[in-house]
Amino acid sequence: MLDHFANRSTPVHRLGAAAKTVSLVAVILATVLVTRGRFLLLAPVAMGLAAYHAISRTPLRYAVRRLAVVSPLALAVVALFPFLEPGEVVWRWPATGGGLVVTREGLLRAGDLLARFVLCSWASLLLLATTQFQDLLQGLARLHVPRVFVTQLAILYRYLWVVIDEAMRMRMARIARDGGLGPRSLRFRSRAGVVGVLFLRSWDRAERIYRAMAARGFDGTLHTPRPGRLRPVDWVFGAAVTAAAVALVLGDRFLYG
Amino acid sequence: MAEAVVELQNVRYRYPTGAEALAGVTLAVQPGERVALAGPNGAGKSTLVLAMAGFLWADGTIRVAGHTLTRGSARDVRRHLGLVFQDAEDQLFMPRVRDDVAFGPATMGLDEAEVEARVRAALSAVGLEGFADRAPYHLSVGEKRRAALATVLAMRPHVLVLDEPSADLDPRGRRALIDLLRTIESTLIVITHDLDLALETCERTIVLDAGRVVGDGPTAELLGNPAFTDAHGLEVPHALRGQGGGRADGRGLHGKE
Repeated sequence: MLDHFANRSTPVHRLGAAAKTVSLVAVILATVLVTRGRFLLLAPVAMGLAAYHAISRTPLRYAVRRLAVVSPLALAVVALFPFLEPGEVVWRWPATGGGLVVTREGLLRAGDLLARFVLCSWASLLLLATTQFQDLLQGLARLHVPRVFVTQLAILYRYLWVVIDEAMRMRMARIARDGGLGPRSLRFRSRAGVVGVLFLRSWDRAERIYRAMAARGFDGTLHTPRPGRLRPVDWVFGAAVTAAAVALVLGDRFLYG
Repeated sequence: MAEAVVELQNVRYRYPTGAEALAGVTLAVQPGERVALAGPNGAGKSTLVLAMAGFLWADGTIRVAGHTLTRGSARDVRRHLGLVFQDAEDQLFMPRVRDDVAFGPATMGLDEAEVEARVRAALSAVGLEGFADRAPYHLSVGEKRRAALATVLAMRPHVLVLDEPSADLDPRGRRALIDLLRTIESTLIVITHDLDLALETCERTIVLDAGRVVGDGPTAELLGNPAFTDAHGLEVPHALRGQGGGRADGRGLHGKE
């Protein structure tokens, strides 16, 4: 599941979800706001995340795999930059002066983007890896994120796997009949059919869930349990990370000039 | 006789497609009664339940615990009518069992301590102590069914209405459910075509066929009559069968044709 390693018990697991969420936002903002090309300023962010990662004892393989899942789109963008950014030419093809040109500025920009992308994703996945999803939801409620949004996330999380199970069952039913062979066009059509049926079933399910809610008096206002109190350790952690992030951005603006 | 807790008078409903689902249903259930609502597939059982809770607008009069069902009173009616739907997956829509059982009481506006007390009482009534922090997705079918029952018990409704409670259960889960239903003290309406379950849990049975009440009486008497059960697509419960099997012509499941 999403929060596969979240039910361990390390100091960072025990931190309150609200403190961790605020810290994540601070880290992401700082990472994004640092002036382009100042890799040195990203180093403290990386060190902080590495320390958190070590304390959480999240397996490195898990982190890399998660990162690989979210990277394709970012990598596609990163890969284009060396060719698009104008500047000092470091490589061209064909060598006699032709269409494809790689610039120094382009490479720097790509590296910069990649570094920021990796740091932000790493920070997010560390939050997910060290916080149970329902605690995260309570943390969001604690931070006054609108209830409707929090509830939608909760229901999404609740039914995501139910829908995936349904899709798997339909896939098995198809393979059981065509042995995974069959003409390509037919396979493609049956896949489209699965998506359509899933959509209709989810629609029906949504209707039934609404009835189950209404049968218990739901009238549009949600009365979710009040989230727990913030402990001193949560305050300290959230404040420390936020202060570090602010210091980083201010240092970038004023010390570097 | 005391005032009926559920009273239907000439309830009619026609699906938008034109098919008549309820062709004038009249019945009354007294406080404390345990009634099975049986009938073949398509008899209108589930439609009747939806109409009782105001999820379909049928013609005729529906009264629950002194409230006549209108668009304005649907919320009051639902509050007194504890509906447990057939698919427990739809009934358990929160990330944790605890939140789900708390949903009804919290929506009723009870204070936190009372909600907590009701959650604990309801979970222990269905034998799920210690399941409060589990995710519904990871429960077995039988556990889901019991958790769904707890979500409604926590609201302490006047009438408990269960739609096909034994569907999908294995013999052990079914036995546990029957034992559990026998311990429940509130007025009970069980929609089922599991007639052995009806015989064990309800002293009175109402048989619905083609949208009409075709039989209403003591369970053993009504369902012990092979001519009657045959005529309405049912079978005499195993527990009431003599040597002749469950059908009017004496042909049992393994009998000679």
